[in-house]
Amino acid sequence: MEAQSIVLRNVSRWYGNVVAVNDVSFTLAPGITGLLGPNGAGKSTILHMMSGLLHPSAGEILVSGVAPAGNPAIYNTLGLVPEREAVQPFLTGNEFVRMCARLHQLPDAAGAAAKAIKLVDLENAKDRKIATYSKGMRQRIKIAGALVHEPAVLLLDEPFNGMDPRQRLDMIDLLRTLGNEGAVIVISSHILEELHDFASNVLVMLSGRLAASGHFREIRKLMTDRPHTFTMRTSDDRRFAAALMGNSTVFGVELTDNGIVVRTSDRGAMTREIARLAKATDAQLREIRPTDESLESVFSYLVDR
Amino acid sequence: MSGPFERTVLWLTWRQLFARGRIYAAIAFTLLPAIFTLVFRFNATDQEGEILRFFVFLNQNLIIGTLLPLAAAVFGTTAFGGEVDDGTLVYLLVKPIARWRIVLSKYAVAALSTLAVVLPAMILPWLLLRGAEITGAMLQGFIWGSVLAAAIYCAIFLTLGISTKRALVFSLLYIIAFESVLSRQLEGVKALSVREWAVSASVAASHGALDIKTYLVPMSTVYWMAPIFFGVALILSLRRLSRYEVAERL
Repeated sequence: MEAQSIVLRNVSRWYGNVVAVNDVSFTLAPGITGLLGPNGAGKSTILHMMSGLLHPSAGEILVSGVAPAGNPAIYNTLGLVPEREAVQPFLTGNEFVRMCARLHQLPDAAGAAAKAIKLVDLENAKDRKIATYSKGMRQRIKIAGALVHEPAVLLLDEPFNGMDPRQRLDMIDLLRTLGNEGAVIVISSHILEELHDFASNVLVMLSGRLAASGHFREIRKLMTDRPHTFTMRTSDDRRFAAALMGNSTVFGVELTDNGIVVRTSDRGAMTREIARLAKATDAQLREIRPTDESLESVFSYLVDR
Repeated sequence: MSGPFERTVLWLTWRQLFARGRIYAAIAFTLLPAIFTLVFRFNATDQEGEILRFFVFLNQNLIIGTLLPLAAAVFGTTAFGGEVDDGTLVYLLVKPIARWRIVLSKYAVAALSTLAVVLPAMILPWLLLRGAEITGAMLQGFIWGSVLAAAIYCAIFLTLGISTKRALVFSLLYIIAFESVLSRQLEGVKALSVREWAVSASVAASHGALDIKTYLVPMSTVYWMAPIFFGVALILSLRRLSRYEVAERL
């Protein structure tokens, strides 16, 4: 397989006054790249621009050296799995994948469709109408449709939605094999752990910007090592706050009307320490809740750091 | 596949247009004029010219004036509109096919589907009424008028289908407000009415067999207006699909 690549140079996309993607640059080589970010971060917009379905408002996108927008020939080597669940409900799974194969003008459309359906393990359901498929089955038939022409560049928008753990593992194996064979694979997700162990490269998007990039392990370390904030109420907040200050992972304690707000660099150690401190100070714990665990705040940390 | 049409898009559009019970609605549309004809035959008196008046009214008003534009509106707007609304258009757009071939294939299926409903709806009543008064030349005239109207209506409604989410509503408004009311009341706008062109073309193609007394748009006007409407509508569809960006509505 010829070496493929995706290059984005200072790419922006806006809709009127709304900036969906803001000055993003990166280069992707063969292998699996995870595009991570909360909903509305600009992941789908980037995937749509890479797949030629959207023109960038500024900047340049090259897929294997060619600008994809307005260039149908690019789809000979590019496959897209859109996020939307919809697939023609009146077709059977087999008809849908064969349709994709015929639209790619493959010489043996039936054979290619059978192979793709086998890859996603839907042989038993291939003759059922897609209207009767579960969400996970629809995802898999969409993937079969995108794989039928064995593309060198595969873009998947939230592909694991609705898949059960076994289907997910099978899909990861399949994508890993394709990545090892030299395909450029981009998978968008809003859950870091979904990319665990198979995305060699992770790009983190937030509010249209590229917030961080690196290997999965580096990104996870950044996220887990970030400061965490807990709010807690005890029977004796002042005494408990004083005890918390003695802990080496704590770097801030504040007494408020709603209880103690504590900031720590090690979430796991802190949760263990709270129980020990409660016993040592003879304080009753009435409430403990993490206050900054929303996905948005996790990603915001990566931008602000 | 070479040529202007893409066979798989033709197949997909055909499946799409006749999915979800639409085939039964199409059959009902097709049979409606025949049912009216049977009722008419059962109640007809022997008054001279009554059968001819009924045949002309049925074809001019019910079929060309109502059934044909309604069928064209449903098929024309659904050919793209359904896929735009549910997001399945993306599966066609990410294939190595020129977008103009997608437009032409969708258009062809919409127009042929409209004719598949309308032509039997014309032929069945003719079979029930044919005789000395109702000749084959009359049917031939209405068939050519219908072909002209289906070709232009479908081009217009296809454009609406890819341009707006409310394509069917706008199509029905156009049929009711312009084609059914304005163009019938105001002679000045008849020259812009597809329905009136179809009636004129029917008379012209019947080689004198049809004698319609109302004002007819001159065929010289139809000859240059019809290609303009047809061409502009198809070019707009093509332009719209070529510039179509998935995030706009998907």
